[in-house]
Amino acid sequence: MTEINYEPAAHYDRVTAAWRMLLGTELHYGVFEAGDESLDAATAALTNRMLSAARLEAGQRVLDVGCGNGAQACRLAAEHDVSVLGITTSQVGIDLASERAREAGIADRASFELRDGTDNGLPDASFDRVWVLESSHLMRDRDRLVEECARVLRPGGRVALCDIIRKREIPFAELKARRSEFQTLRAAFGDAHMQPLELYADLMSGAGLSVDVTEDLSDLTLPTFDRWRRNADQHEAEVIAALGHEGMDEFRKSCDILESLWQDGTFGYGLIAAQRPA
Amino acid sequence: MAASDRDAASTVRSFVKKLKKRSDDVDIDASLFSEGIGLDSLDVAELSAVLEDEFGEDPFSVGQMPETIAEIAAFYDEKPAADA
Repeated sequence: MTEINYEPAAHYDRVTAAWRMLLGTELHYGVFEAGDESLDAATAALTNRMLSAARLEAGQRVLDVGCGNGAQACRLAAEHDVSVLGITTSQVGIDLASERAREAGIADRASFELRDGTDNGLPDASFDRVWVLESSHLMRDRDRLVEECARVLRPGGRVALCDIIRKREIPFAELKARRSEFQTLRAAFGDAHMQPLELYADLMSGAGLSVDVTEDLSDLTLPTFDRWRRNADQHEAEVIAALGHEGMDEFRKSCDILESLWQDGTFGYGLIAAQRPA
Repeated sequence: MAASDRDAASTVRSFVKKLKKRSDDVDIDASLFSEGIGLDSLDVAELSAVLEDEFGEDPFSVGQMPETIAEIAAFYDEKPAADA
């Protein structure tokens, strides 16, 4: 059994630099509407879907939950004239994000704090929008995440969330038989727990939000794995320097495993948005 | 059941200590799951395989869902003595 620490903060600290090379500038999945576009174009397309779902307006206050290296928060602040607070449990993420905002000259509109999305400690009704892009799968207590998102929203505010989703129950015998595949995913991507899109919808409704967007993007995100493999080939030396040969092998295997899980209908990708009643 | 020099409780304790990087004693009456030791479904699958390898069968694979180490130990204690 490996001794690697899979806690989210330690995991992000270890691989943030390498992920940028492997997953592209925006560090998340892509939506391939044509099928042959670049990863950067596809990741921008996913971000645009989140923007449409969030209905951002200039001057709003946005909370970015699980902000990673701050790329999304800085983009939102720079391109949409909003002020963003990014939160993450990784100090490395905070440092990278803060440096990114300073370099972009937007530190007055994009700030970053070490906080847990499931217990953020922020005041009630203090944000117009909550943005949760591919971070929820690393937060085990999904109930508390959604409760906290709802709590900090002002009346009329919106939450937009996208992430990997689980599309079917995995029987225990299957989980046991395929545990090496799931252990490989855990080693490469952290201590992730996928949940159905319907669960997110139920939690949001239960938190008093009105769900008005649910999109299953599984088919449109499938080509992401092919692009990640290409990046691994293209940046092999740099990634091995950061993650080691074992890390690179785990990433390549993970691409194959995830692709097969997408194709057999086990995992997929979903986007959901909801509004707090005015 | 396969013959073994170890008892199930010791096997589970060793598994938990290694998985969770714990050096303290693991309470055999603590919940295995989120409110206690913190095993998730994948951890349980791994534990099931470890127990099966060690003892030839395990409670999770026969549809039981023990909540504590003590309940896992009870699964084996309840069995007739292994054939000598």
